[in-house]
Amino acid sequence: MDRRTFLIRSGGAVGSLILIGCGNNSGSVQQPAATGEAAKAAEGKTRVVFWSSWSATSGEALQKLADEFNASQKEIFVDNQYQGTYEETAQKLATALAARQVPDMASLSEVTWNKFFLNNSLQDITGYFAEAKLDPKDYVESLIGEGTKDGKIWWVPFARSTPLFYYNRDMFKKAGLPDRGPKTWDELREWGKDLMGKGGAKKVFAYTNAKNYNAWHFQANAWQWGGAYSDEDFNILIDEGGALEAGEWLRKFVHQDKMGYMAEDQSIDFGNGLAATTQQSTGSLGGIVETAKFEVGTAMLPEQEKFGCPTGGAGLGILASAPDERKRAAFEFIRFLAKPENAASWAKTTGYMPVTKSARESKEMQAYFKENPNYKVAVEQLPKTQPQDTARLLIPNGDQTIGTGLERILVNNTPAKEAFANVAKQLEDDAKEIKESA
Amino acid sequence: MSVTAKRTARNGKAGIGGKGRLHRDHLIFLAFVAPNFLLLGLFTYWPMVYQSYLSLTRWDLISPTKQFVGLENYVVLFGGQEFQRVLFNTFYFTGTVLLGSIVLGLGLAVLLNQRLRGRNIVRSVVFAPVILSGAAIGLVWAYIFDPTYGLMRVLLGAIGLSSPSWLTDTKWAMPAIIIVYLWKNLGYSAIVYLAGLQNIPQDLYEAARVDGATPWQSFRNVTLPQLSPTTFFIVVTTILGSFQAFDIIAVMTKGGPVNATTTMVWYLYEEGFVAFRAGRAAAAAMILFVLMLAVTLVQVRYLQRRVHYS
Repeated sequence: MDRRTFLIRSGGAVGSLILIGCGNNSGSVQQPAATGEAAKAAEGKTRVVFWSSWSATSGEALQKLADEFNASQKEIFVDNQYQGTYEETAQKLATALAARQVPDMASLSEVTWNKFFLNNSLQDITGYFAEAKLDPKDYVESLIGEGTKDGKIWWVPFARSTPLFYYNRDMFKKAGLPDRGPKTWDELREWGKDLMGKGGAKKVFAYTNAKNYNAWHFQANAWQWGGAYSDEDFNILIDEGGALEAGEWLRKFVHQDKMGYMAEDQSIDFGNGLAATTQQSTGSLGGIVETAKFEVGTAMLPEQEKFGCPTGGAGLGILASAPDERKRAAFEFIRFLAKPENAASWAKTTGYMPVTKSARESKEMQAYFKENPNYKVAVEQLPKTQPQDTARLLIPNGDQTIGTGLERILVNNTPAKEAFANVAKQLEDDAKEIKESA
Repeated sequence: MSVTAKRTARNGKAGIGGKGRLHRDHLIFLAFVAPNFLLLGLFTYWPMVYQSYLSLTRWDLISPTKQFVGLENYVVLFGGQEFQRVLFNTFYFTGTVLLGSIVLGLGLAVLLNQRLRGRNIVRSVVFAPVILSGAAIGLVWAYIFDPTYGLMRVLLGAIGLSSPSWLTDTKWAMPAIIIVYLWKNLGYSAIVYLAGLQNIPQDLYEAARVDGATPWQSFRNVTLPQLSPTTFFIVVTTILGSFQAFDIIAVMTKGGPVNATTTMVWYLYEEGFVAFRAGRAAAAAMILFVLMLAVTLVQVRYLQRRVHYS
């Protein structure tokens, strides 16, 4: 190669580098590339990239459904890709949108989906329901209602859950307690001595940290004490009334009674018999029952002044930037998941609630409830649940702001008044961002 | 064909002016430098420029528009207690790791420098954690630190101590992270020090012995000064490395509890990709950049002058 050719070629190489660097902002959005077996299996089919957030027991159940779907027809291949927690999935989706290499469908939590909805990243799928002859009314009303805005459907319920009260039946027996959850938190506190004495528990109740959604669990407490995080107009209420009392109760329960504590992962500590009771998502039921070496009992959340329990978990969103063909193909998979037998099998394996009425009423599900009363509690609790307060759902980083405040109470014994005053100030600052941009 | 060969050929020819040659040399220089320069520009300098722009905006990573807010992000960072805590954590972490790497690394190197049986095996063992993945190490150590089942509880129990709740206690979480980070990186400074030790001429020690120096005196007056270039190198690499520590924190504590282990890098990750505040994250990154630049400049200017090169 003489010098001139070398210069020309290196010039070309540099030019192409610049093109890569700047990205092609005008062109269409790409799918993440297929690799390995997925690439082979998707040959000649419409490949739908699905970013999901389930591993272990639940992840295997989802992959099984995807495999069955892929085997059931010849046009579509669903490439199910695990992306980590709900938050990690949202992070990756945000960067994918910036890089214009976007999946066709993603699992989004009750917190994260709002962000993508507000930025017009999600597809309005109302029309797809009619096309695919899927009746949106088959979904449990309150659940599909959360994903419906301005009369249009953007987010389909899939792995919806509520917090559930878990207790170690063997320990309850040893402690001479009735085989049921406590009616109120004060009752749990009364039981505490027996549980740590005769029952052999190290701790009575395992709370968890901010990263494991303690702000979701405490949402229930705030309501149970008659308070709230915020109202619909983003007025912050966490530092007053019932929410504050709940925080103070929690502090005393942990630091004076020494009955509660903050676990890194309450499922693990409860499953290992460290804590006699805990509060965890219904979606963890499958995993907990599998790992625990004792009889697991579930109950509705304890009340205090009244009952309170939020919904949670994730639904599915189709990305607006995907081409039509793939969006429709993705919806085919949603339709497949909504079939009574599939929705029921997913609910049974994971502990998430059956999201359609037909699945809930199906013989399979009813028979299962009879055999496994633990699973039925979640469904019975569902009609009494309500969507969470705006502070956690809509204020940027609200979940972590509240969660870190709770950590201060749980770990540092900070008076709830002080911890929540800081949280309220931060939430108010961050709420301004929404009010300004609205 | 090599450039030298061509140039020699060219020089042999009469009639080609010096100016033309200079021009050609420039072109060749450019051709060699350009690829590197462009890559650096594209992947190092451009992101830096873009980031300094981002730090003046409010942007959630997804929305198509970025709102220009001037210095607001910096004002919020320096005005808030949270960021002060983050700065404190960063210096706490870096300072302790630096001290530990030098003292323990040198101690270990001196031990490994003795003519003991099996020292080659021990050297490999000491160096092994350096090449292991931080994520894997973090997971294993999280089990070790578990206050109920962990190995650390057993060890502390053997000497009559009870185990703190390492990773869920604000006082103990940072020491836990530091222990793991030190353990992982100690082998590196030990090996570098070992190389430094072996480069010290033996006649210096002989001369010291002739002068009647005690072992401590010859360590103090021969070994330490002779090792100063090594120490300088370790100071620079350790500070730069530990300023950017991420993997172990991500696996073990995720910055918690109550931000007790949130260092600069973890903070900017949280702001950018968890809270979706790209502007604030970019501002934090700029501050980190300026800090590291300052550290590097100070080291190059003052420390290097005092370092003894034999």
